[in-house]
Amino acid sequence: MNPTTEVLRGAVPHPDIQSLEEVNRAVLRPLGRPGRGWWALLALSIAGIGLLAVSWGVQLWFGIGVTGLNSPVGWGAYITTFVFWVGIAHSGTLISAILFLFRAPWRQSIYRAAEAMTVFAVMTAGLFPLIHMGRVWHGYWLMPYPNSRFLWPNFRSPLVWDVFAVTTYFTVSAVFFYLGTIPDLAAARDAATGLRKKFYKVISLGWRGTDREWHHFGKAYIFLAALATPLVLSVHSVVSWDFAVTIVPGWHATIFAPYFVAGAIFSGVAMVITLTVPLRKAFGLEALLTNKHYDAMAKLCLMTSLIVFYAYLSEFFMAWYSGEEVERAAFWERLFGHYWWATWIMLVCNGMVPVMLWFKRVRHSIPALFTISIFVNIGMWFERYVIIVTSLHHEYEPFAWGLYRPSIVEMGIVVGSFAWFGFWFLLFTRLLPPVAIAELKEVLPTRMRPAGAGGPGGDQ
Amino acid sequence: MSDGLKRRDFLKVVGASGAGVGVLGCSTDKVEKLMPYVTAPEEITPGVATWYTTVCGECDAGCGMWVRTREGRVVKVEGNPEHPVSRGSLCSRGHSSLQALYNPDRFTGPMLRQGQELQPISWEDAEGMVAERLADAGGYYLLTGSVGTSLTGLMSDFAGATGGQVVRYDPLAEAPLREASRIVFGRDVVPWYDLEEARFLVSFGADFLESWLSPVRDGRGFARMSGVDEEGRKGHFTFVGSRLSLTGQNADEWLPIQPGTEALVALAMANVVGGGPNAGPYRNIVAAYNPENVASITGVEAASIRELAERFAEGPSLALGPGIAGLHRGATAANVAVAILNAVAGNVGRTVHYDAPQLDAPSAGFAPMQEAIEAMRGGDVGAVLVHGSNPAYALPASSGFREAFGSVPFKVSFASAMDETAAVADLILPDRHFLEAWGDTSSRPGQWTLRQPTMRPVPHFDSKETGDVLLSVATQMGQDLGVQTFYEYLRGRWADLAASAGADDADAFWRESLRVGVAQVGTTPSGSSTTLRQPDRLIAFDPPEFDGEGDLHLMVYPSSRFGDGALNANRTWLQELPDPVSKITWHSWVEIHPDRAEALGVRNGDVVELSTPYGSVEAPVWIYPGIREDVIALAMGGGHTDAGRFADGNGVNALDLLPSEAEALSGGLVHFVTKVDVTPTGARHRLASIAGSDSQSDRPITPAIALADLGAEGAGDEEGDHGPLKELQGVGGFVPVETDGRPEAFPLEGARYGEYGDENEPRWAMAIDLDKCTGCSACVTACQAENNVPWVGEGQVTMGRDMMWIRLERYYEVVEASHAGPVDVRFLPMICQHCGNAPCEPVCPVFATYHTPDGINTQVYNRCVGTRYCANNCPYKVRVFNWYSFTDEEPVREGLGHVPEPLNWQFNPDVTVRENGVMEKCSFCIHRIRKHQDRAAVAGTTIADGEIIPACQQSCPAEAIVFGNIRDSDSRVAQASRDERAYRVLDELINTQPAVSYLKKVTFHEVDSGQH
Repeated sequence: MNPTTEVLRGAVPHPDIQSLEEVNRAVLRPLGRPGRGWWALLALSIAGIGLLAVSWGVQLWFGIGVTGLNSPVGWGAYITTFVFWVGIAHSGTLISAILFLFRAPWRQSIYRAAEAMTVFAVMTAGLFPLIHMGRVWHGYWLMPYPNSRFLWPNFRSPLVWDVFAVTTYFTVSAVFFYLGTIPDLAAARDAATGLRKKFYKVISLGWRGTDREWHHFGKAYIFLAALATPLVLSVHSVVSWDFAVTIVPGWHATIFAPYFVAGAIFSGVAMVITLTVPLRKAFGLEALLTNKHYDAMAKLCLMTSLIVFYAYLSEFFMAWYSGEEVERAAFWERLFGHYWWATWIMLVCNGMVPVMLWFKRVRHSIPALFTISIFVNIGMWFERYVIIVTSLHHEYEPFAWGLYRPSIVEMGIVVGSFAWFGFWFLLFTRLLPPVAIAELKEVLPTRMRPAGAGGPGGDQ
Repeated sequence: MSDGLKRRDFLKVVGASGAGVGVLGCSTDKVEKLMPYVTAPEEITPGVATWYTTVCGECDAGCGMWVRTREGRVVKVEGNPEHPVSRGSLCSRGHSSLQALYNPDRFTGPMLRQGQELQPISWEDAEGMVAERLADAGGYYLLTGSVGTSLTGLMSDFAGATGGQVVRYDPLAEAPLREASRIVFGRDVVPWYDLEEARFLVSFGADFLESWLSPVRDGRGFARMSGVDEEGRKGHFTFVGSRLSLTGQNADEWLPIQPGTEALVALAMANVVGGGPNAGPYRNIVAAYNPENVASITGVEAASIRELAERFAEGPSLALGPGIAGLHRGATAANVAVAILNAVAGNVGRTVHYDAPQLDAPSAGFAPMQEAIEAMRGGDVGAVLVHGSNPAYALPASSGFREAFGSVPFKVSFASAMDETAAVADLILPDRHFLEAWGDTSSRPGQWTLRQPTMRPVPHFDSKETGDVLLSVATQMGQDLGVQTFYEYLRGRWADLAASAGADDADAFWRESLRVGVAQVGTTPSGSSTTLRQPDRLIAFDPPEFDGEGDLHLMVYPSSRFGDGALNANRTWLQELPDPVSKITWHSWVEIHPDRAEALGVRNGDVVELSTPYGSVEAPVWIYPGIREDVIALAMGGGHTDAGRFADGNGVNALDLLPSEAEALSGGLVHFVTKVDVTPTGARHRLASIAGSDSQSDRPITPAIALADLGAEGAGDEEGDHGPLKELQGVGGFVPVETDGRPEAFPLEGARYGEYGDENEPRWAMAIDLDKCTGCSACVTACQAENNVPWVGEGQVTMGRDMMWIRLERYYEVVEASHAGPVDVRFLPMICQHCGNAPCEPVCPVFATYHTPDGINTQVYNRCVGTRYCANNCPYKVRVFNWYSFTDEEPVREGLGHVPEPLNWQFNPDVTVRENGVMEKCSFCIHRIRKHQDRAAVAGTTIADGEIIPACQQSCPAEAIVFGNIRDSDSRVAQASRDERAYRVLDELINTQPAVSYLKKVTFHEVDSGQH
């Protein structure tokens, strides 16, 4: 095969991988006996879940008043964190579905981790609408279910749309994630012994790797990818409509849907970097996750950062250009008011720090990328905080302006949500192949393979 | 038991509410014992309210009350529409009297101090002990307050028969005013002021809308005077004083005078008005004070005084004051000067009446109290009985009352709940609350109001009317006062009244008086003119001395919520009512001018130490442009130590800073007498304030219109009238429907969502006249009482979680303390606007808020899941959330709102008590609407305009609120919303189509850009 074809296919070279067996070994190695570090992290995350449980318990026992919420700021850290996690959940499906459809082969090393992240992030995000509710025990009233009172949810309310958007997204991304894992689970089954073997046997659904199975798998995968693709755009659009359909100055803007989707991809890719860098290090996956991959992710980050920053500027411009006193005041307050620091964290972390990604040296430095990704994660949390809190605290009625400060309980729940997410992710790293074995093999350098052999497959 | 039943038989009461089916509120889960009526009491129908008349006992004004009872419990008090003082209105303090009735800290029965502990004692033993000790005392004092005419009479009789001396002390008594009336006109009375008749009003610091004389009556009179009428005329009000009180904030013009110089301004005005012939014996004095002479001393330019006086002379005018806040060492002289001013302007007999005064009860100044303290200290007093007052709190610490009282061998308190005086008493004989007791007052000669028990005494508390106790003691002391019970005594006096009223049947007169609540005995003398008298005392009009160093004067003023706060501080409704001026709840604050605060380097919430030669207190700063730079103000009413669980520890007692000094001429306790030293302590106390911004920030929240622009073509109505609009309402919100944006037009045809009705349904709407609203906040408390609105506690208010359904917004437009000029403070009672196009409705995921067919935006508490999305999307921010359960018997957490037994007896059974985690807001008193609708449906009639009165409108002394069906174009609310001043808040900006129209405030000065 000549080099031109390879470039056209976009295959990512893995110069350190010598054989297909090595892929299996490298990917399945983490599934062995975990080390002390893993146990320590697991213990930490369980402690964090404990914090979440206790904090929520306190809130349920006493009332939602244990938060710092008030009038006029009815939403705060909870909804901020909800939107943050929904945003995180975006890149997984983006990478696995959209990039799959666009045949971007650099996705293959990272999409498993990204998809896992998606599923866990939605699971985390899904907690917050419940947590922030005043009477969570009646939360099921948001579901349309037949009842003797003929009471239905209000389909005009974006919160009801949220229920559908998030549950749909969770269902599809979980199915997509699981389906894509099946061949690798079979590989893990083949390598495992004892109880683990039984476990993988069950969840790999008897995958044998026949042509017929691969044929169906490929079809199903592409269908699901096609199904998931609009969801990438729709979920965060719907979440953005929680804000955009209201009349709150600072929320009511038509730019919100694309702005939120871009922001979601931005934060999601950053989170993938944040998660895979330690993963790669800990499990010795340097050969599979190369600079080339990170370079591609960095570029995606850079692009979405530019979109997001453009959206920020456009919001400020529109506020000024509208001539609307209330709108202007809200954005002035955003930049120079009580919460100026949050806004500037947002602007610096999301708009200015990623500028460094223009430089190839930065894109090729894993520590630099990791650091930038942390900045972006922080910046994107604050972006939602700024949108929600600064808009609400300075609305139409000057006499009703007020300030909000998250309480210790809210902080406990927010921190706990990271632990909850980390818990699942840690389990994932030990129980499921963190890199897609089968797909990776597809893109290995052709010199390792007989000429003309293409498509998924190979030995299991 | 039988006593109470007999009593009920006497009360052939009026069932003012008539029939109708009340909606029983969902009960709490605390139903322990259900007992059906075996034999139902005649006048009680379960679910239907019974109303009784009585008279409010909160202050001397004597507002007639209607008391609403349900199943034998008092649940609400309202003004008696037939009473000449209240005319259906009531102030916050009056409403909160319910919380004194059900005060959980009331004494459970008579108590005797043994060692440090109070031990229960039986009434027989207690009365026996009093009789015995009084007989041995060899002279005793009976200290009392403002307690009503007959009880005062009985007390005098009792003291006379048993060798005691009655001392009346009311911290807010207008001693200088009475003395000035005596000096100038020879009448020791509080004159009757007719604000309604005046067209030009000048107050020399008299806070007549808050704490001075009769705030409800004067609030009404003021609103009628100053509200613009149909001919476009409006009375003018000038406030002369060092600090803008709530009353001052309602002024059109402010003369920020040097502390203590009211007399000079008043005399200079009299000089300009033409003191010569009219000033009689004061001719020379008036001639000596011309505006040019006093300008530098008063800090007001001569031209300002001259102009003011010339307008005052045009009449009909009225000068008031100074009030308690200005009770300095020259207070009587200042009152004399104001009396002269009224006299020379020809106001006596027109707007001021000395012949038919407001009050002619004996004076209750400080001087007699001082003598009593001296006597106690001397050890000559064997016993002291304290009733209806709390001198241990309401006198400056430097008076030595506590020590002197402590040294008395036998101290009896008739307090119904613990207070600072009862805390050191030996024997406590708890009196009944006025809603459980008999009594009467006279608010003006010829006007008599009866007080009757409106419910059987709250069973948690074994109380007894003090009149009965005194009679029993007298009997045991071998004195026969001619009657056995206070009720008999009262009947006896009313039999005399009946005779003087010319009634044939005394019983019928009595019953009719009970039914109506007020009796006219003879005609009120029409105020004939009174001539000026030669002064019999030496009066110096020079500015008074202020003790201490520096240039900061300390003004101690009566709180507009509590008054002096001696007996009413243990009420959450008052504690949590935002002060009408500062909007601060619960704690005390120090008012400082912004420039002074900058010089001192203090911000809002910085705790400062105030020290005077007489004491010091610490309180947080509240920066206020409406106070002179050389004045610091502190309200009374805080700093209780033994007044109950809700009062203790809140704020500071301002009297600790004052000397124990009576004003030389009148004997009134001086309040404005000392300089003060302000030292920042470095500590912080976040203000429990509900105020976000004091400025409208160029938004059309409360626009005003200049009087000159009123009636001009096209002026002022650019907001309500914005031509045809298109609304996306047809076919589920996709097809535009044309509308002219009138409230009655909404919801539009084709609007599918919510249960929108047809045109036969009414569309309930409200109009609030901001030219009349004085910001007094009576509506806030009335609403709280009516709708079971919880209180939340200081910490929660600080966090922004107050739950009042009415947020009385207060914006400064023009507040300038450096020179005389216009003042413009805007008030706006912000309630749920019941938008036709409500932003809260579409965002609720569960339809917990929706539109009724008659246009009310309702909140279904049981359906609410608490997402708070509706509150976020409400541009008016009128939705309040139950962050905790604030209605439990125990607080969910320390310091949170709760309703301990028996305070929960007050709950209105027609309104659901809300639980933790649900949203709530103004309901337009939907239970009242439904009650009238049900009654009309049963009777087959229609609802008349004005028949349905929400609690806020009912209570408003200023008559600023109108409610009704706006689809009926003849209704008052429809007319009001067509007024050229009518506008709807933010409507133009966000097209919410509110059902509440506001009528712009009318100013005498030009307003910016015709809008605000």
